[in-house]
Amino acid sequence: MSTASEIDGRPGYVPAGSSQSESWGEWIDRHSRTYFIAPAVVLILLFAIFPTFYSIVFALSRVKFTPSGLTFRFVWFQNFVKQFTGTEQAHFLGKLTGMSAAGWVFGLAVAAVTLWWLIRSIRKTTWVGMIGRTISAAAAIGIALLLGATLLSLNPWGTMLTTLFYVVVGCIIQFIIGTGLAFLCSQPITGKSFFRVIFFIPLMITPLGVGYAFKMIFDITKGPFQPFWEFIGLRDWAWSADVWAARWFVVLGDSWQWIPFIFICMLAALENVPKDHVEAAQVDGASSIQIFREIIWPQIVPVAVTVILIRMIEAFKIVDLPNIMTGGGPGIATESMSLHSFYLWRANDYGQSAAVAYLLLILTVVVCASFFNYVVYNQFRKARA
Amino acid sequence: MSQASYRFDKAKRSLMERLFEAPGIGRMSPAAKIVAYALLLFWSAFVLFPIYWVIITSFKTAQAVNQGPFFIPFVDFQPTLDAWRTQFTADPYCDLYAVGRQLVLLFHNSIAFLLSPVVSIQPMEPQICKVYLAYTNSFVISFASTIVCMVVGSMAAYALARIQYRPRFGNILVFVLLALAAILATTFAGVHWFYTAAVALALFFLLARTIGKHFRGRLRNGDILFWIISQRILPPVVVVIPVYMMFQAIGLIDTHIALILVYAVANLPIVVWLMHDFFANLPIELEESAQLDGATRFGIFWEIVLPLTRPGLAATTLLTLILSWNEYLFAVFLSTAKAQTMPIMVAAKNAGEKGILWWEMCAIIVVMIIPVILMAILLQRFIAKGVLLGAIKG
Amino acid sequence: MAGFNTKVPVTFDKIQKSFGHVRVLEELNLLVEPGEFLVLLGASGSGKTTALRILSGLETASAGRVLIGERDVTEILPKYRDISMVFQSYALYPHKTVAENIGFPLKVRKVPAAEAESQIREVAAQVQLAELLHRYPRELSGGQRQRVALARAIIRRPSVFLMDEPLSNLDAKLRGHMRAELKHMQQALGITTIYVTHDQIEAMTLAHRVAILERGVLQQLATPAEIYNNPANLFVAQFIGSPPMNVVQGSLEGNRFTTAGASIESPVAGRSDKVILGFRPEDCSIVADGNGAIKGRIYTTELIGDHTLVTVETEQDKLTVKAPKDFAGKQGDATGIALSKDHLYIFDAASGQRLR
Repeated sequence: MSTASEIDGRPGYVPAGSSQSESWGEWIDRHSRTYFIAPAVVLILLFAIFPTFYSIVFALSRVKFTPSGLTFRFVWFQNFVKQFTGTEQAHFLGKLTGMSAAGWVFGLAVAAVTLWWLIRSIRKTTWVGMIGRTISAAAAIGIALLLGATLLSLNPWGTMLTTLFYVVVGCIIQFIIGTGLAFLCSQPITGKSFFRVIFFIPLMITPLGVGYAFKMIFDITKGPFQPFWEFIGLRDWAWSADVWAARWFVVLGDSWQWIPFIFICMLAALENVPKDHVEAAQVDGASSIQIFREIIWPQIVPVAVTVILIRMIEAFKIVDLPNIMTGGGPGIATESMSLHSFYLWRANDYGQSAAVAYLLLILTVVVCASFFNYVVYNQFRKARA
Repeated sequence: MSQASYRFDKAKRSLMERLFEAPGIGRMSPAAKIVAYALLLFWSAFVLFPIYWVIITSFKTAQAVNQGPFFIPFVDFQPTLDAWRTQFTADPYCDLYAVGRQLVLLFHNSIAFLLSPVVSIQPMEPQICKVYLAYTNSFVISFASTIVCMVVGSMAAYALARIQYRPRFGNILVFVLLALAAILATTFAGVHWFYTAAVALALFFLLARTIGKHFRGRLRNGDILFWIISQRILPPVVVVIPVYMMFQAIGLIDTHIALILVYAVANLPIVVWLMHDFFANLPIELEESAQLDGATRFGIFWEIVLPLTRPGLAATTLLTLILSWNEYLFAVFLSTAKAQTMPIMVAAKNAGEKGILWWEMCAIIVVMIIPVILMAILLQRFIAKGVLLGAIKG
Repeated sequence: MAGFNTKVPVTFDKIQKSFGHVRVLEELNLLVEPGEFLVLLGASGSGKTTALRILSGLETASAGRVLIGERDVTEILPKYRDISMVFQSYALYPHKTVAENIGFPLKVRKVPAAEAESQIREVAAQVQLAELLHRYPRELSGGQRQRVALARAIIRRPSVFLMDEPLSNLDAKLRGHMRAELKHMQQALGITTIYVTHDQIEAMTLAHRVAILERGVLQQLATPAEIYNNPANLFVAQFIGSPPMNVVQGSLEGNRFTTAGASIESPVAGRSDKVILGFRPEDCSIVADGNGAIKGRIYTTELIGDHTLVTVETEQDKLTVKAPKDFAGKQGDATGIALSKDHLYIFDAASGQRLR
């Protein structure tokens, strides 16, 4: 057996792996499987998974301060029920009384279309897929009815729809402008690298700074556009007084910060499109719009949907900007769910705060998972096929 | 610009044709060029103006801010360093040695903390003004958390790219249920957390060998990767209260270590996601060859893999640095005085009775965004080379 | 057995390997003699690389044992197997210089720097890289990179050399040159070498013995000459030789092979409805129409240089014949093919096995 004696004297020979001669280094190496991944898993378990579980305890309790610390009284789902039907309904969902005819028509129309889609998909998918689709459909119908009851019935809406407004409207605007800028920068123009650096910067500036800078710039009486506001007769007007102006104001700040993200990703994708494809189309006499639609767009769609997904995930967390720019006002018009939860925490209502945070988590997961399953995943399948 | 109207003789083209027709393949028509430059310049102005306004405001006096807009220094208004002086030199201990003293203090106090079970060392008292303290803290916390995050994250990413893991689904289920039971028992039955944790752990090892075995399903690397990356979906407000309670329980509220750990975890998904892609795309022969030559797994990782992913490492590090530098929500919860970071400092300027002192706040924002802009320019160079594209493509 | 250049045998004992439901290797039994240069030859997907990777330890066998010398290494980590490997892509570390690349195996084994240094010089001189030690791989030509990979493999003086298509990234001229160097070096070092390739010329020129694999099954293990002259089955017969062996389907009765329009005296006797007659293009000749065993029309002619390849269309098939370079036949001419009885092979059509 012992080949050791035969091979002794050879440069750097390590004797064969018998367990007696195993050194420390070898013992560690043998467990590299574990120690490579364990720190990450432990950190996530400690600071993400465990707190998420622990949050359930808060969300299901009435939390009180006592001299000995916090005391928890288990109240089942009261904190959640309150958000949907109880005293907090107007804050979370909006004012739901007096739903208009238009609201009903819109809500029921969306519900009908969604149900039709759901029934049609019974044949196409497994029962696991069916559960997922049912959840997505329920969320879509719920949101549609909520829109009908608030927006279309001229009622104020709550923090949930505000959050969705930031996510959906923000994403659409940012994607269009970001992709447009990326397309411009991918054209043969001089000074590309200058524009690239400039356009990228806002993404990196702290959201807090962005919030204050915008608050300052759009100040009606002291900001740089003061002569303009005065000229159009908005002397005594305030952003924080008008519901929609305040919301768009927040979206403006959010877009200033996040368009660079879309821009930079889409620019990388655009430059990854093989040049000869575009040049072949140019030789064939296609216009730039045709080239974009027929050649470039299909190749960048997979990147585009992923970028939108990432942007959506981050958009659900929006908290700094409305907090600074409008303080959530007027009333609760610009309060996102994160901010809602934050304010509840500041008011020492830990149970409600955790419940709202949990609802935000559920909403985020449902919306993002739906988007992933029905849009992103399909694009990747197509790209691979 | 149909094919029929195309003429070979350049001189005979009309003005309109010359305006709208591209002079060649891969070039733009003059009209398109004008539109493109107009749009790009407009957007540059939109991007730069807020930054410009913040910078000039920091050189204004209270009067210059309050009496309507002034745009150009030396022309519209006389710039002063008043805001900078009150922020950065007026307080006691606002000298440049303060930062050095603070770093010594941090080092001394962390050693004292580490040795506290063995010997008790008197911690040093800070001698530094608030802004300098916050600035030092921001640097220390974001660099330390980035190092932790990069080390832990890239090792995990490499492991997921190269080692096969097949954890049993049943074991994970058992783990989750036991963790929930332990938490509920601690909170509502009042059992000390130490006992519940010990019992839960013991039960886990017992049940994993018995019940967990009976579940056929196993997870794959892709599932673990997805699990780690999906942590990014978690809104910070969901976890921040429990994290606060945890740190309070072990007396780490308002310490650097709390923020370092939390930031490292918050950015871990991004690091794992990006680095996994870099590692997975390396040619595997290099690692196999090193393996045959007798290198250990860590040796391969350190000597072969990391040097080959240097651009990716640099880009990911910069991104993580910037994200930790700007973080606000966790900092609000977890720091009160000693560990305050710059974002808290900025936000605190809002709370004054006299309204917002814009000029002072702008001075702080400026010092806060200077390093970020430098890092952004660096990072941009990596992104321009397409370093981060692979991960986005899935 | 002592000293530096220990010659070690290698044994594959009933090695099986499947990936999921795909069986890549079916019971491979192979004994490599000490100091032998063995070539594993096969098309892609034949399992040759898998066999090599199982020997290296980068892949684990589903069943069976691998022995290096007397030692069962089936369960042993690659680094303890005392082997070194040259990869198809060379696997040079792009961020290390030539010297660092060559010295890497010593570095991970913590050989003192001075000793490593002298060995690196020695090995580099052996492969004519002494001048290039401070360059980076990207600054080298293909052949030089190949030599760095070789140097890195030999610096440890392993018991066994593994090579996975090491020459396939080189251009044709350089490949011929490196082939000769490789053969010389292996002879000089006397280290057991297992070499994987899909190129039959490499196999024939380099090997002491060639093992031909197809669909995970060892088809034949023999010297190059034996493989060429005495193929064990139809697959081997058609795989080796360029242009490949001609095949004609027919039946065998007694010692006559009968096919459409021809009856040929067979080297073996027997009785079967479905057999295949094989003969190499260089073992037959073009004769005038009416003569020869097989008749047909010239389909095309290709002048190669020292000879002409004539493709003849018969009723069944197209057959290739090697003719002199001054062959003057025209496309469409009726012609005959003469065979030589000593160079005919008969295979069973169903199993592909050679009938002897």
